[in-house]
Amino acid sequence: MSIDLTFIAQIIVFILMVVVLWKLLYAPLNEAMEARTKKIESGLAAAEAGVAAQANAEALITAQLNEAKSKAHEIIAAAEKRAVEVNEEALNKSRREAEQILDNAREEVGAELERARQSLRQEIAGIAMQAAEKVVEAELDAKRHAKMIEAIIEEGLGAA
Amino acid sequence: MAGQEHSGGIAEHLQYWSYSFDDSNPFMQIHLDTMLLTTLIAVGLISFSLWLRGKLVEGAPTGIQNFMESVIEFINQTVKDNFSVNNPLIAPLAMTIFVFILLCNSLDILPAYLMHHVAGLFGLHTFRQVPTNDLNLPAAMAVSVFLLVLYYEFKLKPGHFLKELLLQPFAALLLDSKNPIVKLLGVILIPLNLTLKLIEEFAKPLSLSFRLFGNMFAGEVIFLLIASLLLVGSVDDLSSVGGVVSGAMGLLVGLGWSLFHMFIGLLQAFIFMILSVVYLSIAHQPVEH
Repeated sequence: MSIDLTFIAQIIVFILMVVVLWKLLYAPLNEAMEARTKKIESGLAAAEAGVAAQANAEALITAQLNEAKSKAHEIIAAAEKRAVEVNEEALNKSRREAEQILDNAREEVGAELERARQSLRQEIAGIAMQAAEKVVEAELDAKRHAKMIEAIIEEGLGAA
Repeated sequence: MAGQEHSGGIAEHLQYWSYSFDDSNPFMQIHLDTMLLTTLIAVGLISFSLWLRGKLVEGAPTGIQNFMESVIEFINQTVKDNFSVNNPLIAPLAMTIFVFILLCNSLDILPAYLMHHVAGLFGLHTFRQVPTNDLNLPAAMAVSVFLLVLYYEFKLKPGHFLKELLLQPFAALLLDSKNPIVKLLGVILIPLNLTLKLIEEFAKPLSLSFRLFGNMFAGEVIFLLIASLLLVGSVDDLSSVGGVVSGAMGLLVGLGWSLFHMFIGLLQAFIFMILSVVYLSIAHQPVEH
């Protein structure tokens, strides 16, 4: 048990081993471990970001769905309102057309009635002339007595 | 007679295979067995490092890479727990200390007289199989660590270290007192302070090296005692019941001691590493005002 030159030689061996093992064993293993740790950390961060993105996307989807439902309700309400308006418009139009048809029919009936009156008046005038000729047996001038005859007819019709 | 032979055998096994450059100066010799074994371990470690370096994978590690990463992780964590600052040298240093001492101690698992007999085949009469049983190796490592501690003490806090060296533990006499006589006493006590501090500082490498050397040396001596007292005699007398019982007991006790001593070897490697880290950590600690 003595200290001798082995001591000096062992210091050299030890220092050399520290340097060589640092470069050849510790550094490569440590780098591999650090690279793996970073990879795992980035993977975890990416997974967390993915989860956050999924939550955001789900929130966005929910908001968009709610918005779409709201819009759909608005569209349905507007469509229903429009349908009611169209229905009312059609009804009003039909009503107006019906009234128009009725007015036209009334006008036609009035005209027909007028025409029938005129025809009847002429026929009655003719018959009256023939009757007067027969009654008075006298020749009457149609042009000279036309006004008188018409007055008689009007009175007759008015009485009728 | 047999006892004298065994005692002589043990003493013979505790001799180093050495080469002397100057017979008149005991320092001028070198232990060739220690140098050979440490060189072989160093070459083995470097070869292993080169081999492992080529097999490293980025993905999930398996096998030997997994084991070595566990060792590195353990050392990194130990250094991290003790160091408040980052110094890239400390972890590789701690790893080298731990692995190197552990491998040296592990040679003790070989049968007590095996290496001696193998060396005898090459014409050598003495050969020590465990390098850590040679005080030169633990002392070399402890002094290297101690020099590194001194380097960091002077580099990081030179004023504080000199103050501790010269004034502790009686710094208050010189610095705090206003009485000139007390101050003079403080100056007079500087050599005593220096002596105490030097003893304190030199105790670190001494305790570090002698702890490892003493444990491993005692372990080897006990191996040799078990082998010489229980096995060597019984091998010559295996025909008798006593010889067989003695041989069986020798194997049993030897196996038990081997297992225990392997644990001691692991423990001593860890203690040497952790104390080195702690000493370096103390050198790195900032000065408290």
